[in-house]
Parts: sequence; structure tokens; C-alpha cells
Amino acid sequence: MNGPRRTLVKSALVLVSALVLQVGVVADLRVLDAVGDLLLLTTVAAALVDGPDRGATWGFAAGLLYDLVLDTPFALSALTYALVGYLVGLAAAALTRPAGWWPVGIAVAAGFGATTLYTIVAHLVGEPYPFGDVPRVGLTVALWNAALVLPACSLLRRVFGRSEPDRVRVSLR
Amino acid sequence: MAVSRPIGSRTRLAVLVLASVTLLSIGLRDAPVIREMREGVATVVSPVETAAGAVSRPFRNAWRGVTGYDDLEAENEQLRAEVAEAESQDTRLADANQQLSELSGLLELPYAGDIPQVAAQVVSGPRSNFSHAIEIDKGTDDGLAVGMPVVTGGGLVGRISRASGSTATVQMVTDPEFRVGVRVAETGELGTARGRGRDEPLTVDTAIDPDTEVAEGTGLVTSGVDRSLYPAGIPVGEVTSTRDGSGGLVLELVIEPLIDVDRLSYYVSVLRWEPEG
Repeated sequence: MNGPRRTLVKSALVLVSALVLQVGVVADLRVLDAVGDLLLLTTVAAALVDGPDRGATWGFAAGLLYDLVLDTPFALSALTYALVGYLVGLAAAALTRPAGWWPVGIAVAAGFGATTLYTIVAHLVGEPYPFGDVPRVGLTVALWNAALVLPACSLLRRVFGRSEPDRVRVSLR
Repeated sequence: MAVSRPIGSRTRLAVLVLASVTLLSIGLRDAPVIREMREGVATVVSPVETAAGAVSRPFRNAWRGVTGYDDLEAENEQLRAEVAEAESQDTRLADANQQLSELSGLLELPYAGDIPQVAAQVVSGPRSNFSHAIEIDKGTDDGLAVGMPVVTGGGLVGRISRASGSTATVQMVTDPEFRVGVRVAETGELGTARGRGRDEPLTVDTAIDPDTEVAEGTGLVTSGVDRSLYPAGIPVGEVTSTRDGSGGLVLELVIEPLIDVDRLSYYVSVLRWEPEG
């Protein structure tokens, strides 16, 4: 199996595993009456490790996969996660010192940002999810992201074959 | 440091956004292809989810014990008091049910108490923060169909919004898209209750005359009127407060649902009843 195909297979395995863990385990571990989001977490990690291009693509795929098992509007997660993945990739690329705890900070911001964006887009398509829930849900998602983003980055570095820790590549095409 | 925005990345993002918006608009029209895909995935995911849930159950129980112990203790006390009260009301309730059944028969309204039920186990709660659905372990193979009401001993849980062979998705009463025709138990006033999100009360903000006196604690049941999606007589909730709505043109009721969506961990019943037409 050649490199890109191997990466694709590994990526698919990570996404499916994240989905199974999300619906089988994480969905029942409620904090502040909200749950973490492993599909968003992997999107953030992919963007941190490999830039906006990968972040957007991964976010789209992860969101679409998640949407298949939800009762919320189809592709709402895909749209949100693709945008978040892209923005996280840009933010990571903008940092001059890609080391230390900065991925945690970005992951926390992404948790709040994704929750807010999701709610806004939901309203635009006629799903009136309460804006009052955003702080509570955003905080929970951010806490999960903060706790797990470094191991997730480590895992995805292996998947993408990135040997240098915390290096962010931006495709200039 | 200035970031040079890669044109290729932006093009890719534009394509992905366009694809998402297209799929979103197709999904909002309830396209059969999306529905069938979701049903197919549900069939595959449900057994995996059940297995993962069984393996992780001890950890989840420990987590709930840590995060909800105080609430559980208080709730336990409250439930003991409610059980004692409920036992004393049994006789009156049986009599009222009998009367309701007879009246529904006279009015040719379907009555929930006469409809065969299918017991189902809750496989999973809401799968995301904005989901208002639970999964149950019975599906079309067991005679279930989209639209059937789902209840517990306490009252209305919701209705089946999607069904595959061995599983079904239940849209809960708290879903902001949820609507149910209700009747105020004491006055007979009819209205439509709607969900407002998790942990939020339901509201009835249409059709109730502003001069109507509705006391706190008054019960609401499904109305079962012509073309209703639900048979008559399923308890929905209790009035916790009232206020003027639509500039004083209607009386708005705030309703506490009888079911606690956080506690739907085990069994529910599906009424094998489908609305006419």
C-alpha cells in the first residue's frame, strides 16, 4: 500500500473509532449537562498538525460522519467543522513559536467557536437551538478539547507521517 | 507574522462549504437518499454502540455516581414522597381512566390506554449536545413505524422520527421542533405544546383564551382531536406558570414535562398507533 493510501486508511480508522467512542462512551459522560465532541477534537488536532487544508477536509469528513448518526440537520456538523478546521489551521500557521501549550489554547477557543458557529448556522436553517446553551456546552467541549488535544495531535502526527512535533505546514499552492 | 493565505486551500474550503450547503438543503427537504443512508448507518452503528456501551457501563456509572450523587440523593427522597402520594391516588386515577376511555369512545377519539404497546430498551441518549433524540432497540421488524408515540409510565416521551429494521430514533418532547396538541385537564381548553430545548419547560402559546383560569399544577394530556399525531389521554406535563402571550391575545402556559429526559436510561413503550391520513 502506498503512502497516501495508507494515510487515507489510517485516517478513516481514526474517524470511525472516534465516532464509536463518541456515541458509545462520551455521549454518556455529561459535564454541566453537556458532552465532549471527539469528532471536533480530531478536526482541531488535524488542523494543528497539518494546517488549514487538512483541517477543512478532515472537518468536513468528520462532521459528515457524525451527521449520519444524529437527528440534527444533515451536513450541519460538516459545514461547521470544515470552517473550524480551516480557521484552526490558519491560527496555528500564524504562530511564530509552534511549541508549548498553544495547541491547548487554540483547542479551547475552537470548542467555544464551534459551538457558537453551530448554533448560528442552525438558526439560519430554521433549527432554533437556544443561544443560552452556548456558554455551558462551549465550556464542556472546550474542557474536553483541552484535556485531549495533545494526545490527539500526537496520534494524528503518526497518521500523517509528520515526524517533527508541533510543526505546522501550510500548503502554498 | 502575516500569513499568506493559500489560494488552493481557499478553493478547497469553498468547495467543501458549497458541498455542505448543498447537502444541508437536500437534507432539510427530507430527501429519501439521506434518510435511507441514516437508517443504514443506524443499523450498523447500533450494535457497535450497544457493545461499546456495555463495556464502558461500569465507568459511566462511576462517573454518574461522582457527578450526580447529591442530586440522586435529593431526588430519591422526593421520589419516595411522590410514590406515597401516587399510591393514594390510584383508585381515583383508575376511575378517571375508565371515564376518559368511555368518553373517548363516545367521541370516536382514539384513547391511549386501549392501544397495544411494544416495550423497548433505550440504547443511547442524545448523541450530541444539540440532539434531542434517543435510540431504542426496536424497529420496523417489531412493527414500529415513523410517527408512533413513545411513552413511559410517567407520560409522553416523544415520537418515532426514524426507524430501521432493529432500531428506531425517538424525537423527544424537548426538541424545539416538537409539537403536540394538548388539552388542559380541568378546563378542556385545547392548544399546541412545543419543546424549547433540553432542561427547558414546554410552552403552549397558541389558542388558549386569555380569560381562562388555569391553576398551577393543572395537568395537560394529548388532545387526540381530528388528525392529531397522538391519541387522546397521554399525560404531557403540568402547568408551572402562566403569562400573557402575543400582546395579551392569548394565555401562554409554561409546562413542566412529566418525563425526565436525563433518566430515560432503560425502558420505554411505543404505542402501535399511527395517525389517520
